[in-house]
Amino acid sequence: MKKRPLLKKLLLSLLIPCAVLLVLEAIALGKGVRLFANADSWKLFFRAVANVTLTTFALSINLDSGRFDFSLGAVSMLSATVAGTLAQQWGIGPWPTLAIAVAVAALLGLIHGGVYVLTRIPPIIVSLGMALFYEGCAFAFTGGKGVSLVTRTDIIGFSTIGNYILVTAVAVALIVLLFDFTRFGANYRALVSGQKIAVETGIHEVGNALGCYAVSGALMGVVGFISLANTGSQQMALNFGSIGIMFTAFLPMFIGGWIGRYINKRVGIMLGAVSMALISLAFARFDTASSVQSIVSALLLVLFLIYLNNEFAILSKFRGKKEAES
Amino acid sequence: MKNLKRFLSLALCLMLALACVPAMADGHVKIGVLVSDATSSEALAFRAYYTEYIAKAYGVEFIYSDELTDAAGEKSAIDNFIVNNCKAVISFSSFDRPSQIDQCDAAGIYYAVATGTLSDEQYNEYKDYETYVGAIGPSNQIEFQAGYDMAAYYIDQGMTKFGMFGGAVPYYNDMHIYRAAGMLAAMVEKGGEGANYKGADNAGAIIGQIYADGSIEPCTIGSLELAAYVGGYDFNDAWFGKLAQMVGTEGIQAILTVGSGVDVLGGFISGSGVKLATVDSFTPAMKEAMDNGILDYMAGKFAASIGPIFAAMLNAVNGQPIRDGEGNALALGQGYWVATSAEQFAEYSAVDSSMTDPAYTKEILDQYAAAGVSYDDFAEFVSKYSFDEIVALKK
Repeated sequence: MKKRPLLKKLLLSLLIPCAVLLVLEAIALGKGVRLFANADSWKLFFRAVANVTLTTFALSINLDSGRFDFSLGAVSMLSATVAGTLAQQWGIGPWPTLAIAVAVAALLGLIHGGVYVLTRIPPIIVSLGMALFYEGCAFAFTGGKGVSLVTRTDIIGFSTIGNYILVTAVAVALIVLLFDFTRFGANYRALVSGQKIAVETGIHEVGNALGCYAVSGALMGVVGFISLANTGSQQMALNFGSIGIMFTAFLPMFIGGWIGRYINKRVGIMLGAVSMALISLAFARFDTASSVQSIVSALLLVLFLIYLNNEFAILSKFRGKKEAES
Repeated sequence: MKNLKRFLSLALCLMLALACVPAMADGHVKIGVLVSDATSSEALAFRAYYTEYIAKAYGVEFIYSDELTDAAGEKSAIDNFIVNNCKAVISFSSFDRPSQIDQCDAAGIYYAVATGTLSDEQYNEYKDYETYVGAIGPSNQIEFQAGYDMAAYYIDQGMTKFGMFGGAVPYYNDMHIYRAAGMLAAMVEKGGEGANYKGADNAGAIIGQIYADGSIEPCTIGSLELAAYVGGYDFNDAWFGKLAQMVGTEGIQAILTVGSGVDVLGGFISGSGVKLATVDSFTPAMKEAMDNGILDYMAGKFAASIGPIFAAMLNAVNGQPIRDGEGNALALGQGYWVATSAEQFAEYSAVDSSMTDPAYTKEILDQYAAAGVSYDDFAEFVSKYSFDEIVALKK
């Protein structure tokens, strides 16, 4: 196998986020807008990096194993609802509230995983059922009122650039550690590569699946808390109103997969999230209408998938042209 | 196996018969309620008033639909009400009101609109339907006035630079468009000579401009400035970023919101010194926001505001529909309670949240849910919706 020098790998890893930044800066220049105009812009950027990175991890952990999960948004909503309500009743600060959100979300993930391994119903169906169930639970838990912490300055005060960076860094480090440097991670990778062979070699797929659901849930607990601290409120959603959050994770997941050829895949996902966060910032700075945002996001996803599916042909054509010219 | 099948068939028949007994024995009136919003604080307050107060006080049963998202859902929910032997439908859902009215009329069950009104064209078409009871709620004109009053309140205090949250304006929601238009109209009217919004200098033109654009553009309106605008309910990072940017806009003094102001902006407003005004309901969360200075102005629908339409519906079900001199159904406007201080909010909230002594009690409603009530009497009753007038009624 051809080995690439480290510097080249690093440059290729940063290619997409840098290209996105350059394009957006050029558009901003044309519009007479500064992309990073003030502290709010930086805050938006780092919050988006944290949210998208964690959501993409949560989605990809199970999706890589063929387990599609529609319940991510519902887990995030229910864990934030429980943690926010307890924060309100007990008067606890942001970090204990975050810890509760993570614990509750991990438990919800575990329950989801438990239902899947016990019933053996296709994961996509189970996840739809769990999404509805968790949405209903959140609604019942608060009587539909949701949670309002707008007067809790300590919890709203969690929304700082420093905390976003800290949360993202800790999450990336823990995920890299768990999936790349532990037996659990090795088993996970073996199961992703070929479940039948992995099981025949003695890997316990049920335990691994349960672990994946719990980790995925815990990550969504952090996302839920970030959202709660950002607005000071948690709104309720019913009838799959919570599933939209997972769609923000597809493009960074594919970008992460591409970058993962040159660098650790989890770091690649984070760089994919950085690219998405830059696009989110640009949407806000350029005051882009939501319909245009949807079109641009969908186009980017489709174009990237077209490229991935035809990469060999595109590159061959490009190289052939260069060779002919030389 | 054959015996088992027989036993199961017998058990199923028995269960069916037992299920029918209470429905047949209990003569109470069942009313279906169509809702397109099951989660907002306003919707929850309305539901609590019906299910926790009215249902017990009048011995009626309310059957709520799921949170409806389209006209097909409305049709299916009404089918369900018909199957459940509902005598009437009260609708909070407006995807396709003409179809709802036609469907109820075909089934011979009464239909009424709560917290809303029909358009003039729709009213003219359905006003003489026997099963159409009528509509009571904020008309578009009242929504316009609510927005106008909110903006005027701050302009009269000498404020000149504003932000606006347009809620469902991009989705062409009439209620939000009219509120936003009212805000802009106040700015145009009070912005000095020649003030206009994109060339529009009267209510009709402003409303038309918003419908044409599906959005609102920040601009200078005479001596006043609409410095920032955010619409929609995207709940994504870019949208939250826009909201934070709006609060952080240099020199902005107040943010006028057509609804959900505290829920979407509360976290950003906290500690910013920017005044926040909204249209919402008198919930504990809003009270806390008002007490802590996050919310400065609130126009709220009170939970019991849906009491009169229930009274009108009960009259119809009991064979005494309220009709005007020409036999037409009700079409009455009803506005908001406006709180501009924590004390005022607390006073309103205490009445609004009570499930033993709400704004419209059984004693008050009984005077109008009775035989011989004329259209004019009923209209006068509904028109006295201000807090002070209702308190006077209770005395």
